[in-house]
Amino acid sequence: MKRYIWGRVIRAILSVFIVTAVAMVMIYTLIPRELIFKTDATYQKLGGKEDDRARYKYNAYEKLGYVDFIEQSDMCEAYASDNYDACMVVDSTEINNILPTYKSEGYTVEQYKAGLYYAYKDTPIMSIVGTFFGNLIQIDHPWRMMDSDNATLDSTRGIYWGLDYNGLPALMGNGTLHKYLIYIDGSFPFIHQNIIQLNLGTSYPAYSYTPITQVISSSQGTEDTREQTFPTGQTVDSAIIQHSCEYKYTSSLDRLDQNKFTDNYAECLTQKSDPSMIQDSMTIGILALMIGYAIAIPAGMGMARHKGKLGDHIGTIWINFMIAVPSLAFIFFGRQIFYLLGLPQSFPTFGAHDIRSYIPAVVILGLMNTASLMLWTRRYMIDQESADYVKFAKAKGLSEKEIFRKHILRNAIIPIVHGIPANIILTITGAVLTETVFAIPGTGKLLPDAINDHNNQMIVALTMIFTALSIISVLIGDLLMTAIDPRIQLEEKEGGAH
Amino acid sequence: MSEEREAILSANDVHVQFTVRGKTLNAIRGVSIDLYDGETLAIVGESGSGKSVFTKTFTGMIDANGSVTAGKAVFEGKNLYENKTDEQWEQIRGRKIATIFQDPMTSLNPIISIGKQITEVIEKHQGKPFDEAKKEAIQLMTEVGIYDAENRFDEYPFMYSGGMRQRIVIAIALACHPKILICDEPTTALDVTVQAQIIRLIKKLQKDYGYSIIFITHDLGVVANVADRVAIMYSGQIIEYGKVNEIFYDPKHPYTWGLLSSLPQLGIKGEPLYAITGTPPSLYDEIKGDAFAQRSDYAMKIDFEEEPPMFAVSDTHFAKTWLLDPRAPHVEPPTQVKELHERMKEAIRIQELELHEGDAR
Amino acid sequence: MSEAENKFVFVKNDENASEHIAAPKYSYWSAVFKKFLSNRSTVVILIIAITVVTLSIVDPLISHYDGLSHININDPSMQFIHPNLQYLFGTNDYGDNLWNVVWIGARNSLAIAGLTTLITTVLGVVVGAVWGYSKRMDKWMIEVYNIIANVPFTLVVFVLMYVLGRGFWQLIFAMSVTSWLSTAFFIRTQVMIIRDREYNLASQCLGTSTWTIVKNNIMPFLVSIIVTSISRDLPSFISLEVFLAWLGIGVGETTPSLGKTISANRTFMTSTPYLFWIPVAISAVITISLYVAGQTLADAADPRTHM
Repeated sequence: MKRYIWGRVIRAILSVFIVTAVAMVMIYTLIPRELIFKTDATYQKLGGKEDDRARYKYNAYEKLGYVDFIEQSDMCEAYASDNYDACMVVDSTEINNILPTYKSEGYTVEQYKAGLYYAYKDTPIMSIVGTFFGNLIQIDHPWRMMDSDNATLDSTRGIYWGLDYNGLPALMGNGTLHKYLIYIDGSFPFIHQNIIQLNLGTSYPAYSYTPITQVISSSQGTEDTREQTFPTGQTVDSAIIQHSCEYKYTSSLDRLDQNKFTDNYAECLTQKSDPSMIQDSMTIGILALMIGYAIAIPAGMGMARHKGKLGDHIGTIWINFMIAVPSLAFIFFGRQIFYLLGLPQSFPTFGAHDIRSYIPAVVILGLMNTASLMLWTRRYMIDQESADYVKFAKAKGLSEKEIFRKHILRNAIIPIVHGIPANIILTITGAVLTETVFAIPGTGKLLPDAINDHNNQMIVALTMIFTALSIISVLIGDLLMTAIDPRIQLEEKEGGAH
Repeated sequence: MSEEREAILSANDVHVQFTVRGKTLNAIRGVSIDLYDGETLAIVGESGSGKSVFTKTFTGMIDANGSVTAGKAVFEGKNLYENKTDEQWEQIRGRKIATIFQDPMTSLNPIISIGKQITEVIEKHQGKPFDEAKKEAIQLMTEVGIYDAENRFDEYPFMYSGGMRQRIVIAIALACHPKILICDEPTTALDVTVQAQIIRLIKKLQKDYGYSIIFITHDLGVVANVADRVAIMYSGQIIEYGKVNEIFYDPKHPYTWGLLSSLPQLGIKGEPLYAITGTPPSLYDEIKGDAFAQRSDYAMKIDFEEEPPMFAVSDTHFAKTWLLDPRAPHVEPPTQVKELHERMKEAIRIQELELHEGDAR
Repeated sequence: MSEAENKFVFVKNDENASEHIAAPKYSYWSAVFKKFLSNRSTVVILIIAITVVTLSIVDPLISHYDGLSHININDPSMQFIHPNLQYLFGTNDYGDNLWNVVWIGARNSLAIAGLTTLITTVLGVVVGAVWGYSKRMDKWMIEVYNIIANVPFTLVVFVLMYVLGRGFWQLIFAMSVTSWLSTAFFIRTQVMIIRDREYNLASQCLGTSTWTIVKNNIMPFLVSIIVTSISRDLPSFISLEVFLAWLGIGVGETTPSLGKTISANRTFMTSTPYLFWIPVAISAVITISLYVAGQTLADAADPRTHM
């Protein structure tokens, strides 16, 4: 059994890896790079100034890891540092001597309108993929930050226990990226860590250069201030989340930072009033799932018991309707009906803290879940009903209800439970449409937005997240089955999702 | 020497019809038989003769497209066929009349422990709480031959072999001390050695609990071991019935002759084995006269025109054939049937010889 | 008494008479059609389905409307005419007759969904049948399947469409490439179930060739399953195209489709609602009628329902 689990886990990791890598390769090789600037306002504004635009472009590419970008200044620095000033002249002999070296290394050399040269080399696609996976898991440690401007840094590197700004015990570090490595606060799961983190790349052009994990998991909306005391003793209303503070290079520290902080850890997240994207999606997804199961399972059971009669026919009509109707059409019908009942047509109308914003999306998504659930529940029930042991139970004198409850239900529950984790994930990903229609700021909506923006890294990150969730959920479903069904001993031969 | 015994179940002129693809199938065409207290009645017949369907009418378990269209089955003073609702049948099933089926592999719910499958019957029909029911169940399990019953109470069916599962099934069936136990080919799916054990078990428990058995089978060898009386069914009717000795040594119906002649043990080396030609007639059609006539070597003109009545051979032995009519010519049963006893003894002697020879080698 | 005496005379029996089978005659295909047409509402739905498909083929041929040339664009009086007897569906912001817009969109959406269904079904059945029948192939194919199957299908279509760009054939490719494997797996499972059934083993023992077994034993069993699969795939592909067009990643700029029409008309939801709701309704009618007709045919094709 243990061997089986390991086998599945390895296979799962392999799947995620392959899918993400293939997606990355396809996206980075087949999509013209310039498209990422389609919705970048700065880029558009630089329309007339070609040189500035080129510099902006290649800087952006470099930040995103597509290219290695070198300006003439870097070239002169590297190969003619003693003749630097002479080198930095347009078309100087020095630079013309240096250029072939770069060309032979594979760089494409181009010239600004103003005359200076610049060069760029495409990072090989496998290297991009490798860097992504290599950086995927980041472990914080005291030798992570290098800051030549910080004199005391090297001598004070280390990890130490102490009390945080709330007086609670915390593990902190100096020289680490994060100040608070392990801390306690009031939100689930109460004990948090910053030691091991997931790095999914940076988002561009939307949420310019913000780490994707942050985009997904940090709060949204307007800033939410509360009174707090900073290390310098200053007590003000601020939205800063001190537990999140990261190292800021001494050269970037400003007066505001120095007013609050006694050390370099001044790069902090701010607390906003609305839930994060992932919270929005999960809230709606899980609520919708619960509604879906709450309706579908009793309905499916009812249909099985009254097979062929009116209830079964009505249920079948509903199932057929839901399967046949285009989801988009259904969402619009639903939204219109809710509108007539006084509920908002889009999420931002009343915002994240008003229950009315959630109702239409949750109910519609829940109903969309019911169709296949009802169909399968009914089928499992009916299959059990024709089983031999049911015939025997009947001959024993048990009533229909008893047979149903004790025998049929227990057997049919097994495949139903098996499907719960898979349905959870399907709901979260299937909410893409619902979130787009209702303009809900969740992870589902991120995907079509990213596609429209040509936010390549985001697309890759989302691919990986959704794939991983999907595969994990199926694995959990299989493991759950072993817990419930005494007959099952999982073997290598099992097929994939049903 | 006729014993005054109670007929605990009296079936009278029962007719059952099924509707298949719009056509009517006459599955049971006028069956009458009594079941006496404490006896074992074997019902023998080919597939499709109606033996299962007939007994299913006693527990209201025939398929939804079939119904009892005529006749009565009187049990404990009431006509069983007057029961219409499930609640009424639940009083009978398991409690008064229990059934065990052919395939023990699938008769048990795979995901419920065997102990619980016994106790649920006790809890339902006798209203006892679980602890009492569990004690009774463990005792039952021991009686049917499950060792270490107490520890095995929580085990699951897949851990058991076919023979042991059938024992559990028997335990379940007897849990509420029914008056009648219907055994629908309970040993057909089992090995020969296990067969013998199960039959011995059923008979032993019959002595302890005092129920009557209706034993359905197509295997005449089993009948000889098990039955007090035998009823032979063909095409939805009982064509001969009587005490087991009467049927084996003095059969009167050509079909019974054919069945007995077909016993492979009676075959003589070098001679062709006997078999009844043809197949039973279709029950969709109206059957005129004697249903077996088409396949019988002894058919007379009247067999194709009128259905024969039940003729009495003795107080306990009856046969439904025109051959017993005083006007019919005298007919001798075939040689195999007349020499049944001798041939069987010979067959057993040869078997034992071969066994000894094997030992000698 | 001589007449009664006569009856007790032995008669030679006819061996053949006892072998006569009197069960009602059964022909598979006639049972299928009889069952299919037995329900009146099914026939109605079938008529609706046929009407819709016919309209989507015929109307573009008659009207010569191709979604690109807006002949009335310079005539403001032709814009936003609400549905009346002359313009059954009204006209849109370009002055085009919505009736024509809808039917050519339907034709393309049906073509896309139809071609995709055709490809996935053919590929799926062929691969699935071999997969199910050959134990050797199953060994490694199952490993491949386990790795790929759990990836969310819509996600892959998104990424593929993103990478390949918009377009008619790109869409068909993207949808086919992601769906055929699940059809193949489904068929494989069904084939495995019946491959080991005794009647097939018996056929093998009698020396029946593999092809004959496949043709006579396995294919009829699969007919019902394949029809079920098709009846579910077709509406889901139409739905997917509508979905993708809404998100802007479906068919290309110059190809009209129902999804694009719905998406384009979303701005008119409050001002001239008919422009939005009519294409939505038509898309629903198409998918529902095709689905129900297909399901009923699948049920009718299942011999176990021929009782």
